Amino acid sequence: MTRTVFTLFAAVLALAPAAPLRAADSGGTTVTISQGVDADTLNPLSKTVTPLNNVVQHFYERLADFGNRSGEFVPLLATSWKRVNPTTEEYKLRRGVTFSNGDPFTSADVKFSVEWIKDKSHASEQTPFVRDIDRVETPDPYTVRFVSKVPTAIPPGLQQPIFIVDAKYFQEKGAAYVGEHPVGTGPYVLREWRRDDQLIMDVNPKWWGGRPKIDHVVFKPIPEAAARVAALRTGATDLITNVPPQYYIQITGGQNTKLASTRSLRQLFIAFNTLQPGPQQNKLVRQAINYAVDVPAIVKNVLGGRGYELTSPIPPNYFGYDASVPGYKHDLAKAKALLAKAGYPDGKGISLVVNAPIGRYNRDREVAEAVSGQLQAVGIAATVKPQEWVSYSSMVGRRALSPLYELGWNQPSADADGVVTSLFTSSGPLSCYSNPEVDKLADQARGELNVAKRKALYKQIATILHEDAPWIVLFEYEDLYGTSKRLHFQPRGDEAIRAYEMSVS
Amino acid sequence: MTAYLGRRAFGALWAVIGVAIVVFVILHITGDPAAVMMPPESTQAEIDAFRHAQGFDRPLIVQFASFAASAAHGDMGSSLRHQEPAMGLAIQRLPATIELAGCAFLIVALVGVPAGVLSALRPRTWIDYTARVIALIGQSAPTYWIGLMLILLFAVRLGWFPASGIGDWRNLALPAATLGFFSTAKIMRLTRSAMLEVLDADFMRTARAKGLTAVRVSLGHGLRNAWLPIVTQLGVELGTLLSGAIITETVFAWPGVGRLAVQAVFERDFPVVESVVLLTATIFVVLNLVVDLLYAVLDPRIRYA
Repeated sequence: MTRTVFTLFAAVLALAPAAPLRAADSGGTTVTISQGVDADTLNPLSKTVTPLNNVVQHFYERLADFGNRSGEFVPLLATSWKRVNPTTEEYKLRRGVTFSNGDPFTSADVKFSVEWIKDKSHASEQTPFVRDIDRVETPDPYTVRFVSKVPTAIPPGLQQPIFIVDAKYFQEKGAAYVGEHPVGTGPYVLREWRRDDQLIMDVNPKWWGGRPKIDHVVFKPIPEAAARVAALRTGATDLITNVPPQYYIQITGGQNTKLASTRSLRQLFIAFNTLQPGPQQNKLVRQAINYAVDVPAIVKNVLGGRGYELTSPIPPNYFGYDASVPGYKHDLAKAKALLAKAGYPDGKGISLVVNAPIGRYNRDREVAEAVSGQLQAVGIAATVKPQEWVSYSSMVGRRALSPLYELGWNQPSADADGVVTSLFTSSGPLSCYSNPEVDKLADQARGELNVAKRKALYKQIATILHEDAPWIVLFEYEDLYGTSKRLHFQPRGDEAIRAYEMSVS
Repeated sequence: MTAYLGRRAFGALWAVIGVAIVVFVILHITGDPAAVMMPPESTQAEIDAFRHAQGFDRPLIVQFASFAASAAHGDMGSSLRHQEPAMGLAIQRLPATIELAGCAFLIVALVGVPAGVLSALRPRTWIDYTARVIALIGQSAPTYWIGLMLILLFAVRLGWFPASGIGDWRNLALPAATLGFFSTAKIMRLTRSAMLEVLDADFMRTARAKGLTAVRVSLGHGLRNAWLPIVTQLGVELGTLLSGAIITETVFAWPGVGRLAVQAVFERDFPVVESVVLLTATIFVVLNLVVDLLYAVLDPRIRYA
């Protein structure tokens, strides 16, 4: 037996991977970032998840990026753009930019990137991002035109700007190779990637944007929130994402740690499935429920105050918000009166299921439980049905969750278009609401090039949505990050983490 | 012996094939991954196009036939998430898992067995009670909780070990202890009861009567005869450690097979789940076979024909 044990021990040592490279070995400043999951692939044209985008945006760049305010863009690989006719947007590209392998960046790379995503055989998850682009024209190496079938208010290519890859390199090496060996125009280049362990990048000395203050960036994924917090407290990492409320005190009370927060563009709501039979098809019931729910109390007690009450599905930090559209203030008397008027005095005869995902959004299940508790105050028998996200999301897509279901939505463009088209039109992929008037107005707004007129259209839509109440409008989150005290990091509403905008002291 | 080996290998092959079929069916009846993978604003047409490109719109039996055909050639398909060969991803993570499970197994064998023997030789003393209380905790406390407590105490409070990640031996200490705790407790209890059974046997009295030292009596005669169930269980535990590091790997951000499996299940990355299960099933089956062969070495009365 002793011999067996020693043989095993020897085998273990032989198989043990060599000690990983330490980024700090090479000098310069290093920042370690811990998200919950590792990047899936470093091919930037196939996936859509935030933690992955946070990694690849250090290697690759877009034509333009969302600014801090809605409708504002920061030029990156494009220096300017203009509408040459209602269906054509022309971009002037930045000159003298090279990929990290030395290849020059030209319009051919933009055309290739868009067309790669559009090619159905690649099964890219980004197809909705280039849906409006019908074709790409490249009149010269530094000009590219996106042509759409119908006019769209947001220029085609800017609803959700895509990353641009090196066409020549991508074609030569293939997507699988590129997935492990990124070559982009961005501020960093990959040094080493050990899956699920760490991904180390070094500054790209040839970057057109100048030298970032951080020389080396390490992405070190840690799936468990508690373990992420422990890693931050021990100094093993400088920045952690998705901090649950129960750890706030540990982080603010830590000697070398602090919280960083910002108002998110992600709102949480509970929608009525108005396509399925039930009391939720009655507008008065929907209004009554909106009066019965006390959103400020939920924000205070369930989110520890880390949220912002909303009055409309179009939030104040989105284009299309109008402060004059009223919301529902918590009012039990009004709720009871409306229920009586609808034929359900004291809520008798209404029993509702609130469907909710587990662990997809911060406090998702707890919020649904709070809402159902508040509904009981007006006599409505409400129960929560929590479900695991994968099966939940496919049921949302099939419109199979009824009568109530909770969902979150983050619109990085901060424009009402995404919310209204996806969530309130009859053909919207996640809509359980159908109103021909809203459909018509949404289409109009989508193609309206005059900003003031477009804003007025969204005000009309918001007013109808208030009256019709197809949702229980809840709140926008406050996103919380834990960071080391030496790190200067300004969080963004779209959940993007950018080492090239950070510094350390 | 050769005939026996042949029979066992044949049986093992069928066990692995059976596992492959069960996993395939269970995965596919939970729905296809298109709805989860595509971004929320996708239209039904966009989701359908994705589904078609991935082949998920084909009847289940057709999907299985094509899976079986390529699996027979050693090709488990490409990961939906990573877009790389799925089996390659699983094998890439195997060294980290073997390193962790191997160290945990050393703890199990080198702590669990001696503690069990001592506990049996000194029943109802403080040694026995301490060992039994620790065994009770090990068997009843969830791995997840033990892992977090070890992190809080040894990483955050005392700063002796890193909280997570892979690296040198210090990174290994906490996850190996966490992973090995449950099995150590189990082996300790098993060793204790197996030893207690043989301690009263006639041959033990004879050995003592011959004037042998206490150590030789208890180890040479006692443990030698209590070995069989312990070795069987050690074999099973090694298999469990290799395939059951899912929670430990997740808590300690250990880049092994278990963590790959969890992520793949969450994201419905079918080819990866299938590869991981097949890989661990194979390891388990092979280990069992090795344990059975060890019997003959440990107990010359057992012969395979």
